[in-house]
Amino acid sequence: MKIEVLFPEFGNLFGDTSNIEYLKKCLPDAEIIETSINNEPVFTKENVNLIYLGPSSERAQEMIIGKLKPYKDKIQELIDNNIVFLFTGNAIEILGKYIENEDGSKIEGLGIFDIYAKRDMMNRKNCNVLGKYEDIEIVGFKSQFTYTYGDNENNYFINLDVGFGLNEESKLEGIKVNNFIGTYVIGPILILNPLLTKKILIMMGIEQPKLALEEETMQAYEYRLEEFKRKFRDNK
Amino acid sequence: MKKTFKFYIALWGAKAGTILLKLLRKNATYFPGKFALSVCPDFMGRIDKPKTIIGVTGTNGKTTVCNMIEDILKENNYDFIDNKYGSNIDSGIATTLISGVNLRGKAKKDLAVLEIDERSASRVFPYLTPTYLICTNLFRDSLMRNAHTEFIASILTKYIPKETKLIVNADDLICSNIAPNNDKIYFSIDRLETDTEKCNNIVRDIIVCPKCNTKLEYDYVRYHHIGKAHCPNCDFKSPEADFIAKKINFEEKEMIVESKDGQAEIIKLANTNVINIYNILAVTVLLKQLELTCEQINNGIENLKIVETRFSEETIDGSKVKIVTHLAKGMNPIACSRAFEYAKTTDGNKVAIVIVDDLHEDAKGTENIAWQYDTDYEFLNDESIRQVIIAGPRYLDGYVRMRMANVPQEKIVYVRDEIEATSMANLEEIDKVVILHDLYSIEETERIKAKIKEMVKEKESK
Repeated sequence: MKIEVLFPEFGNLFGDTSNIEYLKKCLPDAEIIETSINNEPVFTKENVNLIYLGPSSERAQEMIIGKLKPYKDKIQELIDNNIVFLFTGNAIEILGKYIENEDGSKIEGLGIFDIYAKRDMMNRKNCNVLGKYEDIEIVGFKSQFTYTYGDNENNYFINLDVGFGLNEESKLEGIKVNNFIGTYVIGPILILNPLLTKKILIMMGIEQPKLALEEETMQAYEYRLEEFKRKFRDNK
Repeated sequence: MKKTFKFYIALWGAKAGTILLKLLRKNATYFPGKFALSVCPDFMGRIDKPKTIIGVTGTNGKTTVCNMIEDILKENNYDFIDNKYGSNIDSGIATTLISGVNLRGKAKKDLAVLEIDERSASRVFPYLTPTYLICTNLFRDSLMRNAHTEFIASILTKYIPKETKLIVNADDLICSNIAPNNDKIYFSIDRLETDTEKCNNIVRDIIVCPKCNTKLEYDYVRYHHIGKAHCPNCDFKSPEADFIAKKINFEEKEMIVESKDGQAEIIKLANTNVINIYNILAVTVLLKQLELTCEQINNGIENLKIVETRFSEETIDGSKVKIVTHLAKGMNPIACSRAFEYAKTTDGNKVAIVIVDDLHEDAKGTENIAWQYDTDYEFLNDESIRQVIIAGPRYLDGYVRMRMANVPQEKIVYVRDEIEATSMANLEEIDKVVILHDLYSIEETERIKAKIKEMVKEKESK
């Protein structure tokens, strides 16, 4: 098993690298490759089982776009070939059409997905998330400067009950195309959602995945699920 | 800016409001300014301000630094206005300025000491030019509000007036690079025995050179991104300090502050924890700009009143067991990591009681616990910490986090109710009970303390 963590020097803002720490515990034999911005991504020449990118600052996000642009076709090919991707926080915007600043200027993205983001730096948007991905429930948190626009009706990741989706009007969170998962949910999403982690491990080709700290994470997951339903769903 | 009719309405309304609130015995530290700003949005630009304004901003240590400056100035008979009892955002600062003028809007005092929330830069600095602005440090803080350090550094750079002289931490590569065109005075602490070659923390808010993206090389790391670093590929490096704290004498509680021109003075330390040495150093550099003498500064430091809510230590009557309380500000990964490191390094065998949930956030709904994974719970995985007790609404998350830090299951107690959790403390051969608590958990801390005392007394009487 090979996991490539893209640009961990930037994509580590909100405790996100804990997802990789958790995968390390679940897959003690996996090889974790950390690719920094001055190096070539390993996925360009080797097979990897998971490509991870976490949220970064706006400046870093723009550098990452510049870095990944030459590999646009390769990334598209890997998505078509069912390679597992996990892009969290604003990482998904890198693969969109463009990111628009408050002054109307635009930063062109890789254009793999038909979405665009609008920055609003003096208004941070926070929400709790509760929704469904396939047959499982997802809980988590979002905290961001952007809303994203575009149609994800046929390729969303989570159908939300609580929280905002791509933007205030949307209840459809993130993008899921083949085994590509892009979500604005930040932080320890895999630790908070052991059932999702199990699904991702299966996507990566592990037939009977065993979670690390399964009892502990399941107990916390069920508690949060019950709490979110009680506090947010019933009085939304 | 001219004083308009609207300005006077705002001022007189705020003054009347202050009197009314005082008559009602309500706190008038926020509302008068909020009212004035709602009537006259550029009110702070129009009101007369003291000739000299000292501003203090940064992630950690703002309040402590302000309190020290105020106490030392008071000790030396300076007369000034401050927002000590008010908020540090625009409405609190406006309230302070209102208290400092007469009904015609004229300033009554020549000096102001203002704590300024770094996130409020855009609403404060367009109207108010600090003569000196201390920036203590810049770290990641509450992510829901402050996002990330690049964001905070960028708004400070954008809004700090160009006439303001900055006093910044040279050992902090983020803080030292704000407002690159302003005049700056840099302070630094010389290499310490406890400094390391490698970083022992999860979070470093600057890892690569902001100019060329090459991984920074550290001559030494103090904690997180604090230390002395350079880029091996370009000219980016820690700035040369104008004032360096050297030869820190932890026993005698003093340090030598050496200036660039070779002048060296002995400065007293109220507290020898590194963060507080930085705080006292920043205060010393500032007060020297106001031309206080070394004696005046030291007299002030000797008479400082340390605020008890941040740290306390007491030995339980009739026993050798000590109870230590240490503030571990929830949702602030750096403050918590520093507190957890204290629990690890303080001597003796310990029980650590962790109540770091933000009860305010919880009352509003739930707490985003992402910050727990930026916090070094790993420090609590230490032989000298015999037991870790986690309580509060997020006790199950805390438990998972401890297990992620490889703390053995049998060492952890996790129960929601803090007293029930505390009652499970195993005090056999324990020297210290360290309570690591959030800012909003003072009452809970007191209850835990009382419970521990009761348990120790019961044990001693057997």
